Amino acid sequence: MKHSDNFFDETPFQTAGPFLHIGCSPNLIGINNIFKNDLGVFPFEKEKHSNIISISGSVFDGNSEALNDVMIETWQCNDKGEYLDGQGFARFVPNEETKKFTLKTIKPGAVIGLDGKFQSPHILMSISSRGINMNLNTRIYFEDDDLSNDTTLSIINQKDKINTLIAKKIDKFNYIFDVYLQGNKETVFLDI
Amino acid sequence: MKSLIRRNFDKQPIANYPDYKSSSLRAPKNKKIYIPSSISEISGPKFNKNIIGKLDNDLTLNYSHNNKVPIGQKIIVHGKIVDQYYKPIEGALIEIWQANASGKYLHPNDQNDVPIDPNFCGSGRYITSSNGYYEFRTIQPGAYPYPNRGIEWRPMHIHFSIFGKSFGQRLITQMYFQGDPLIKLCPMINSIPNKKAKKSLIGSLDLSLSETDKLLAYKFDIILRGYNQTFFENRKEGL
Repeated sequence: MKHSDNFFDETPFQTAGPFLHIGCSPNLIGINNIFKNDLGVFPFEKEKHSNIISISGSVFDGNSEALNDVMIETWQCNDKGEYLDGQGFARFVPNEETKKFTLKTIKPGAVIGLDGKFQSPHILMSISSRGINMNLNTRIYFEDDDLSNDTTLSIINQKDKINTLIAKKIDKFNYIFDVYLQGNKETVFLDI
Repeated sequence: MKSLIRRNFDKQPIANYPDYKSSSLRAPKNKKIYIPSSISEISGPKFNKNIIGKLDNDLTLNYSHNNKVPIGQKIIVHGKIVDQYYKPIEGALIEIWQANASGKYLHPNDQNDVPIDPNFCGSGRYITSSNGYYEFRTIQPGAYPYPNRGIEWRPMHIHFSIFGKSFGQRLITQMYFQGDPLIKLCPMINSIPNKKAKKSLIGSLDLSLSETDKLLAYKFDIILRGYNQTFFENRKEGL
Protein backbone atom coordinates (compact mmCIF):
# COMPACT_ATOMS: atom_id res chain seq x y z
CA MET A 1 0.00 0.00 0.00
CA LYS A 2 1.46 3.30 -1.10
CA HIS A 3 2.23 5.79 1.63
CA SER A 4 4.11 8.53 -0.16
CA ASP A 5 6.12 8.70 -3.36
CA ASN A 6 8.71 6.26 -2.20
CA PHE A 7 7.52 4.70 1.01
CA PHE A 8 4.97 1.91 1.44
CA ASP A 9 3.27 0.18 4.35
CA GLU A 10 4.18 -3.36 5.26
CA THR A 11 1.65 -5.93 3.99
CA PRO A 12 -0.80 -6.78 6.79
CA PHE A 13 -0.54 -10.10 8.59
CA GLN A 14 -3.30 -12.70 8.69
CA THR A 15 -3.59 -15.76 10.88
CA ALA A 16 -1.68 -18.85 9.75
CA GLY A 17 -4.87 -20.81 10.50
CA PRO A 18 -5.32 -24.38 11.71
CA PHE A 19 -3.81 -26.06 8.63
CA LEU A 20 -0.39 -24.41 8.57
CA HIS A 21 1.40 -27.78 8.59
CA ILE A 22 0.39 -28.28 4.95
CA GLY A 23 2.61 -25.41 3.91
CA CYS A 24 5.26 -25.26 6.61
CA SER A 25 5.86 -28.83 7.79
CA PRO A 26 4.03 -31.12 5.37
CA ASN A 27 6.10 -34.20 6.26
CA LEU A 28 4.78 -33.95 9.82
CA ILE A 29 1.25 -34.72 8.68
CA GLY A 30 2.19 -37.42 6.24
CA ILE A 31 2.53 -35.39 3.05
CA ASN A 32 6.00 -36.72 2.47
CA ASN A 33 6.36 -37.01 -1.23
CA ILE A 34 6.50 -33.39 -2.32
CA PHE A 35 9.35 -31.74 -0.41
CA LYS A 36 12.33 -33.87 0.58
CA ASN A 37 12.68 -32.35 4.04
CA ASP A 38 10.73 -29.97 6.22
CA LEU A 39 12.70 -26.81 6.90
CA GLY A 40 14.34 -26.15 10.26
CA VAL A 41 14.28 -29.71 11.53
CA PHE A 42 17.82 -29.34 12.92
CA PRO A 43 19.11 -25.83 13.64
CA PHE A 44 22.72 -27.09 13.69
CA GLU A 45 24.40 -30.17 12.29
CA LYS A 46 24.08 -32.50 15.23
CA GLU A 47 27.20 -34.53 14.57
CA LYS A 48 29.42 -31.44 14.79
CA HIS A 49 28.30 -30.54 18.30
CA SER A 50 28.53 -32.56 21.46
CA ASN A 51 26.68 -30.20 23.78
CA ILE A 52 23.11 -30.46 22.54
CA ILE A 53 20.57 -28.97 24.93
CA SER A 54 16.81 -29.55 25.02
CA ILE A 55 14.32 -26.77 25.65
CA SER A 56 10.84 -28.15 26.29
CA GLY A 57 7.55 -26.54 27.11
CA SER A 58 3.98 -25.82 26.11
CA VAL A 59 2.06 -22.86 24.78
CA PHE A 60 -0.98 -22.15 26.97
CA ASP A 61 -4.10 -20.21 25.98
CA GLY A 62 -6.32 -18.06 28.22
CA ASN A 63 -8.04 -21.15 29.64
CA SER A 64 -4.63 -22.60 30.63
CA GLU A 65 -5.05 -25.24 27.94
CA ALA A 66 -1.85 -26.38 26.27
CA LEU A 67 -2.17 -25.96 22.49
CA ASN A 68 -1.15 -28.52 19.90
CA ASP A 69 -1.94 -26.55 16.76
CA VAL A 70 0.73 -23.84 17.05
CA MET A 71 3.88 -23.52 14.97
CA ILE A 72 7.04 -22.29 16.65
CA GLU A 73 10.07 -20.90 14.85
CA THR A 74 13.37 -19.99 16.47
CA TRP A 75 16.47 -18.12 15.35
CA GLN A 76 19.76 -18.02 17.19
CA CYS A 77 23.50 -17.63 16.89
CA ASN A 78 26.06 -20.37 17.46
CA ASP A 79 27.97 -20.98 20.68
CA LYS A 80 30.49 -18.28 19.73
CA GLY A 81 27.81 -15.62 19.35
CA GLU A 82 27.96 -15.64 15.54
CA TYR A 83 24.95 -15.56 13.23
CA LEU A 84 25.92 -17.64 10.22
CA ASP A 85 24.20 -18.66 7.00
CA GLY A 86 22.64 -22.09 6.91
CA GLN A 87 22.39 -22.62 10.65
CA GLY A 88 20.44 -21.40 13.66
CA PHE A 89 16.86 -21.71 12.39
CA ALA A 90 14.37 -24.23 13.77
CA ARG A 91 10.68 -24.83 13.14
CA PHE A 92 8.62 -27.24 15.23
CA VAL A 93 5.16 -28.01 16.63
CA PRO A 94 4.04 -29.50 19.93
CA ASN A 95 3.44 -33.22 20.16
CA GLU A 96 -0.20 -33.91 19.28
CA GLU A 97 -0.91 -35.91 22.49
CA THR A 98 1.43 -34.44 25.13
CA LYS A 99 1.12 -30.91 23.71
CA LYS A 100 4.76 -30.35 24.59
CA PHE A 101 7.37 -29.06 22.18
CA THR A 102 11.08 -29.81 22.35
CA LEU A 103 13.80 -27.78 20.69
CA LYS A 104 17.11 -29.60 20.47
CA THR A 105 19.88 -27.15 19.76
CA ILE A 106 23.21 -25.82 20.98
CA LYS A 107 23.31 -23.17 23.64
CA PRO A 108 23.87 -19.80 21.96
CA GLY A 109 26.78 -17.62 23.02
CA ALA A 110 26.59 -14.04 24.26
CA VAL A 111 26.40 -11.45 21.48
CA ILE A 112 28.17 -8.15 21.23
CA GLY A 113 26.64 -6.03 18.50
CA LEU A 114 28.54 -3.74 16.14
CA ASP A 115 27.19 -0.93 18.29
CA GLY A 116 28.90 -2.49 21.31
CA LYS A 117 25.61 -3.44 22.96
CA PHE A 118 25.82 -6.60 25.03
CA GLN A 119 23.26 -9.36 24.82
CA SER A 120 23.17 -12.37 27.09
CA PRO A 121 22.70 -15.72 25.31
CA HIS A 122 19.19 -15.82 23.88
CA ILE A 123 17.01 -17.37 21.19
CA LEU A 124 14.36 -15.48 19.21
CA MET A 125 11.00 -17.23 19.12
CA SER A 126 7.96 -16.67 16.91
CA ILE A 127 4.57 -18.30 17.50
CA SER A 128 1.88 -18.67 14.83
CA SER A 129 -1.53 -20.38 14.91
CA ARG A 130 -5.24 -20.19 14.42
CA GLY A 131 -6.54 -17.27 16.49
CA ILE A 132 -3.22 -15.41 16.33
CA ASN A 133 -3.72 -12.67 13.75
CA MET A 134 -0.11 -11.58 13.77
CA ASN A 135 2.61 -13.97 14.86
CA LEU A 136 3.98 -13.34 18.34
CA ASN A 137 7.65 -12.68 18.99
CA THR A 138 9.47 -13.33 22.21
CA ARG A 139 12.92 -14.36 23.46
CA ILE A 140 14.28 -17.30 25.43
CA TYR A 141 17.04 -16.53 27.94
CA PHE A 142 18.69 -19.04 30.28
CA GLU A 143 18.45 -19.14 34.05
CA ASP A 144 22.12 -20.02 34.53
CA ASP A 145 23.49 -17.00 32.63
CA ASP A 146 24.34 -13.54 33.90
CA LEU A 147 21.40 -11.46 32.65
CA SER A 148 22.26 -8.22 34.43
CA ASN A 149 23.75 -6.41 31.42
CA ASP A 150 21.42 -7.55 28.66
CA THR A 151 20.24 -4.68 26.47
CA THR A 152 16.71 -6.01 25.87
CA LEU A 153 16.01 -7.09 29.45
CA SER A 154 17.11 -3.67 30.66
CA ILE A 155 14.32 -2.18 28.54
CA ILE A 156 11.69 -4.52 30.02
CA ASN A 157 12.99 -3.66 33.45
CA GLN A 158 10.37 -5.47 35.57
CA LYS A 159 11.43 -8.63 37.32
CA ASP A 160 8.14 -10.56 37.02
CA LYS A 161 7.97 -9.76 33.32
CA ILE A 162 11.60 -10.64 32.70
CA ASN A 163 11.01 -14.00 34.38
CA THR A 164 8.59 -14.96 31.60
CA LEU A 165 11.54 -14.91 29.18
CA ILE A 166 13.86 -17.13 31.20
CA ALA A 167 14.12 -20.88 30.60
CA LYS A 168 14.36 -22.84 33.85
CA LYS A 169 17.27 -25.20 34.18
CA ILE A 170 16.48 -28.84 34.97
CA ASP A 171 20.01 -30.18 34.55
CA LYS A 172 23.08 -29.48 32.45
CA PHE A 173 21.34 -30.30 29.17
CA ASN A 174 17.65 -29.65 29.86
CA TYR A 175 15.58 -26.50 30.18
CA ILE A 176 11.86 -25.75 30.49
CA PHE A 177 10.29 -22.78 28.72
CA ASP A 178 6.50 -22.41 28.84
CA VAL A 179 4.66 -19.68 26.95
CA TYR A 180 1.47 -18.11 28.32
CA LEU A 181 -0.62 -16.21 25.79
CA GLN A 182 -2.80 -14.69 28.54
CA GLY A 183 -3.35 -14.67 32.29
CA ASN A 184 -1.27 -13.59 35.25
CA LYS A 185 1.77 -15.39 33.86
CA GLU A 186 1.35 -13.84 30.39
CA THR A 187 4.64 -13.99 28.50
CA VAL A 188 6.20 -10.71 27.42
CA PHE A 189 5.81 -10.36 23.65
CA LEU A 190 8.08 -8.05 21.77
CA ASP A 191 7.54 -5.51 19.02
CA ILE A 192 10.76 -6.31 17.18
CA MET B 1 23.90 -0.03 12.78
CA LYS B 2 20.95 -0.54 10.45
CA SER B 3 17.60 -1.11 12.11
CA LEU B 4 14.18 -2.23 10.98
CA ILE B 5 11.62 0.48 10.30
CA ARG B 6 9.27 0.47 13.22
CA ARG B 7 6.09 -1.49 12.60
CA ASN B 8 2.86 0.51 12.10
CA PHE B 9 0.19 -1.41 14.02
CA ASP B 10 -2.58 0.84 12.65
CA LYS B 11 -2.18 -1.00 9.37
CA GLN B 12 -2.15 -4.45 10.96
CA PRO B 13 -4.95 -6.67 12.31
CA ILE B 14 -6.28 -6.17 15.84
CA ALA B 15 -5.00 -9.07 17.95
CA ASN B 16 -8.16 -9.59 20.00
CA TYR B 17 -10.98 -9.28 17.48
CA PRO B 18 -14.22 -10.61 19.01
CA ASP B 19 -15.84 -11.42 15.65
CA TYR B 20 -13.01 -13.92 15.13
CA LYS B 21 -13.71 -16.14 18.10
CA SER B 22 -10.43 -18.07 18.18
CA SER B 23 -8.57 -14.84 18.92
CA SER B 24 -10.28 -14.32 22.30
CA LEU B 25 -8.25 -16.93 24.20
CA ARG B 26 -5.07 -16.51 22.16
CA ALA B 27 -4.49 -12.78 21.86
CA PRO B 28 -2.19 -11.50 24.62
CA LYS B 29 -3.75 -8.79 26.79
CA ASN B 30 -0.61 -6.76 27.41
CA LYS B 31 0.93 -4.35 24.97
CA LYS B 32 3.96 -5.59 23.07
CA ILE B 33 7.20 -4.10 24.30
CA TYR B 34 9.19 -2.33 21.63
CA ILE B 35 12.86 -3.18 21.40
CA PRO B 36 15.23 -1.53 18.95
CA SER B 37 16.76 -3.89 16.39
CA SER B 38 19.80 -5.82 17.51
CA ILE B 39 21.90 -8.09 15.34
CA SER B 40 19.49 -10.90 16.32
CA GLU B 41 16.48 -9.27 14.62
CA ILE B 42 18.30 -8.00 11.53
CA SER B 43 19.96 -11.32 10.80
CA GLY B 44 17.89 -14.30 9.76
CA PRO B 45 17.82 -17.69 8.20
CA LYS B 46 18.86 -17.80 4.56
CA PHE B 47 17.48 -20.60 2.47
CA ASN B 48 19.56 -22.03 -0.30
CA LYS B 49 17.91 -22.30 -3.71
CA ASN B 50 18.98 -25.93 -3.91
CA ILE B 51 16.24 -26.87 -1.40
CA ILE B 52 13.67 -25.99 -4.05
CA GLY B 53 12.59 -28.73 -6.42
CA LYS B 54 11.60 -28.12 -10.03
CA LEU B 55 7.87 -28.51 -9.36
CA ASP B 56 7.72 -26.93 -5.92
CA ASN B 57 5.96 -23.83 -7.31
CA ASP B 58 3.64 -25.77 -9.61
CA LEU B 59 0.84 -27.15 -7.46
CA THR B 60 -0.93 -28.45 -10.56
CA LEU B 61 1.87 -30.99 -10.97
CA ASN B 62 3.69 -31.40 -7.64
CA TYR B 63 1.27 -34.00 -6.25
CA SER B 64 0.15 -35.54 -9.50
CA HIS B 65 -0.10 -39.32 -9.50
CA ASN B 66 0.13 -41.42 -12.67
CA ASN B 67 0.20 -38.22 -14.75
CA LYS B 68 -3.27 -37.23 -13.57
CA VAL B 69 -3.96 -33.57 -12.92
CA PRO B 70 -5.99 -31.97 -10.11
CA ILE B 71 -9.60 -30.97 -10.67
CA GLY B 72 -10.51 -27.31 -10.83
CA GLN B 73 -9.63 -24.09 -12.54
CA LYS B 74 -5.92 -23.67 -13.15
CA ILE B 75 -4.52 -20.24 -12.24
CA ILE B 76 -1.25 -18.34 -11.97
CA VAL B 77 -0.54 -16.34 -8.80
CA HIS B 78 2.45 -14.08 -9.16
CA GLY B 79 4.03 -10.87 -7.92
CA LYS B 80 7.06 -9.36 -6.28
CA ILE B 81 8.51 -9.47 -2.80
CA VAL B 82 9.74 -5.95 -2.05
CA ASP B 83 10.68 -3.85 0.96
CA GLN B 84 8.97 -0.63 2.06
CA TYR B 85 10.88 1.34 -0.58
CA TYR B 86 9.64 -1.15 -3.21
CA LYS B 87 13.15 -2.51 -3.59
CA PRO B 88 12.99 -6.16 -4.72
CA ILE B 89 14.12 -8.73 -2.17
CA GLU B 90 16.28 -11.48 -3.56
CA GLY B 91 16.41 -14.88 -1.88
CA ALA B 92 13.07 -14.52 -0.08
CA LEU B 93 11.46 -17.86 0.75
CA ILE B 94 7.73 -18.01 0.00
CA GLU B 95 5.70 -20.98 1.22
CA ILE B 96 2.04 -21.24 0.32
CA TRP B 97 -0.80 -23.54 1.33
CA GLN B 98 -4.43 -23.69 0.33
CA ALA B 99 -7.63 -25.72 0.00
CA ASN B 100 -8.42 -27.64 -3.18
CA ALA B 101 -11.16 -26.74 -5.66
CA SER B 102 -13.81 -28.20 -3.32
CA GLY B 103 -12.61 -26.12 -0.37
CA LYS B 104 -10.85 -29.05 1.35
CA TYR B 105 -7.34 -29.09 2.84
CA LEU B 106 -5.28 -32.25 2.67
CA HIS B 107 -5.04 -32.12 6.47
CA PRO B 108 -6.27 -34.67 9.02
CA ASN B 109 -7.99 -31.91 11.01
CA ASP B 110 -10.11 -30.65 8.10
CA GLN B 111 -13.55 -32.09 8.89
CA ASN B 112 -15.49 -30.61 5.96
CA ASP B 113 -17.52 -33.20 4.12
CA VAL B 114 -16.14 -32.54 0.64
CA PRO B 115 -13.62 -34.66 -1.27
CA ILE B 116 -9.87 -34.47 -1.15
CA ASP B 117 -8.21 -34.41 -4.55
CA PRO B 118 -5.77 -37.31 -4.88
CA ASN B 119 -3.63 -35.20 -7.22
CA PHE B 120 -3.51 -31.97 -5.22
CA CYS B 121 -1.79 -31.34 -1.90
CA GLY B 122 -2.09 -27.55 -1.83
CA SER B 123 1.48 -26.73 -0.81
CA GLY B 124 4.16 -24.94 -2.74
CA ARG B 125 7.33 -22.96 -2.22
CA TYR B 126 9.71 -20.72 -4.09
CA ILE B 127 12.80 -18.58 -3.54
CA THR B 128 12.90 -15.22 -5.33
CA SER B 129 15.67 -14.19 -7.71
CA SER B 130 17.27 -10.76 -7.94
CA ASN B 131 14.10 -9.05 -9.19
CA GLY B 132 12.07 -10.31 -6.22
CA TYR B 133 9.66 -12.04 -8.57
CA TYR B 134 7.69 -15.17 -7.75
CA GLU B 135 5.15 -17.27 -9.60
CA PHE B 136 2.96 -20.21 -8.62
CA ARG B 137 0.75 -22.31 -10.82
CA THR B 138 -2.12 -23.72 -8.84
CA ILE B 139 -5.85 -24.47 -8.70
CA GLN B 140 -8.42 -21.86 -7.74
CA PRO B 141 -9.15 -22.72 -4.09
CA GLY B 142 -12.77 -23.20 -3.06
CA ALA B 143 -14.53 -21.29 -0.29
CA TYR B 144 -15.45 -23.41 2.74
CA PRO B 145 -17.55 -23.33 5.91
CA TYR B 146 -15.96 -23.25 9.38
CA PRO B 147 -17.25 -22.85 12.92
CA ASN B 148 -16.98 -19.28 14.27
CA ARG B 149 -20.12 -17.40 15.37
CA GLY B 150 -22.13 -20.37 14.16
CA ILE B 151 -21.04 -21.63 10.75
CA GLU B 152 -19.44 -19.01 8.53
CA TRP B 153 -17.69 -19.18 5.16
CA ARG B 154 -14.09 -18.32 4.45
CA PRO B 155 -13.54 -16.49 1.19
CA MET B 156 -11.28 -18.18 -1.34
CA HIS B 157 -7.73 -17.62 -0.16
CA ILE B 158 -4.12 -18.76 -0.27
CA HIS B 159 -1.91 -18.67 2.83
CA PHE B 160 1.53 -17.08 2.36
CA SER B 161 4.54 -17.39 4.67
CA ILE B 162 7.56 -15.26 3.78
CA PHE B 163 11.10 -15.05 5.07
CA GLY B 164 12.99 -12.03 3.75
CA LYS B 165 16.51 -11.29 4.90
CA SER B 166 15.93 -11.12 8.63
CA PHE B 167 13.83 -12.60 11.42
CA GLY B 168 12.26 -9.18 11.99
CA GLN B 169 10.95 -9.14 8.40
CA ARG B 170 9.03 -12.38 8.86
CA LEU B 171 5.49 -12.17 7.45
CA ILE B 172 2.56 -14.59 7.42
CA THR B 173 -0.56 -13.53 5.57
CA GLN B 174 -3.32 -14.59 3.17
CA MET B 175 -4.18 -13.54 -0.37
CA TYR B 176 -7.83 -13.16 -1.33
CA PHE B 177 -9.33 -12.99 -4.82
CA GLN B 178 -10.70 -9.89 -6.48
CA GLY B 179 -14.48 -9.90 -6.66
CA ASP B 180 -15.14 -12.58 -4.04
CA PRO B 181 -18.35 -11.47 -2.23
CA LEU B 182 -17.29 -13.38 0.92
CA ILE B 183 -14.34 -11.03 1.55
CA LYS B 184 -16.40 -8.30 3.15
CA LEU B 185 -18.05 -10.82 5.51
CA CYS B 186 -14.79 -12.38 6.70
CA PRO B 187 -13.86 -11.55 10.32
CA MET B 188 -10.22 -12.44 9.71
CA ILE B 189 -9.74 -9.82 7.03
CA ASN B 190 -12.04 -7.44 8.92
CA SER B 191 -9.70 -7.67 11.92
CA ILE B 192 -7.62 -5.16 9.89
CA PRO B 193 -9.28 -1.81 10.62
CA ASN B 194 -7.61 0.15 7.83
CA LYS B 195 -9.49 -0.11 4.52
CA LYS B 196 -6.49 0.34 2.24
CA ALA B 197 -4.50 -2.21 4.21
CA LYS B 198 -7.37 -4.68 3.87
CA LYS B 199 -7.54 -4.09 0.14
CA SER B 200 -3.82 -4.73 -0.24
CA LEU B 201 -4.50 -8.42 0.55
CA ILE B 202 -6.71 -8.87 -2.50
CA GLY B 203 -4.93 -10.35 -5.51
CA SER B 204 -6.05 -8.60 -8.66
CA LEU B 205 -6.96 -10.23 -11.95
CA ASP B 206 -4.00 -9.73 -14.27
CA LEU B 207 -4.96 -10.26 -17.89
CA SER B 208 -1.47 -9.26 -19.00
CA LEU B 209 -0.14 -12.58 -17.73
CA SER B 210 -3.23 -14.72 -18.25
CA GLU B 211 -2.91 -17.28 -20.97
CA THR B 212 -6.36 -16.49 -22.27
CA ASP B 213 -6.95 -19.82 -23.90
CA LYS B 214 -5.87 -21.75 -20.78
CA LEU B 215 -5.75 -19.94 -17.48
CA LEU B 216 -6.25 -16.70 -15.55
CA ALA B 217 -3.58 -14.91 -13.54
CA TYR B 218 -3.75 -12.95 -10.29
CA LYS B 219 -1.12 -10.47 -9.13
CA PHE B 220 -0.17 -10.07 -5.49
CA ASP B 221 2.85 -7.98 -4.45
CA ILE B 222 4.06 -8.40 -0.89
CA ILE B 223 5.81 -5.66 1.07
CA LEU B 224 8.19 -6.65 3.86
CA ARG B 225 9.65 -4.21 6.34
CA GLY B 226 12.52 -2.00 5.25
CA TYR B 227 15.54 -0.74 7.16
CA ASN B 228 16.54 2.68 8.40
CA GLN B 229 20.14 3.03 7.30
CA THR B 230 20.95 6.31 9.00
CA PHE B 231 19.43 8.77 11.40
CA PHE B 232 18.92 11.18 8.50
CA GLU B 233 16.84 8.66 6.54
CA ASN B 234 14.88 7.89 9.63
CA ARG B 235 13.93 11.55 10.04
CA LYS B 236 13.20 12.02 6.37
CA GLU B 237 10.52 9.34 6.49
CA GLY B 238 8.90 11.05 9.44
CA LEU B 239 9.01 7.98 11.60
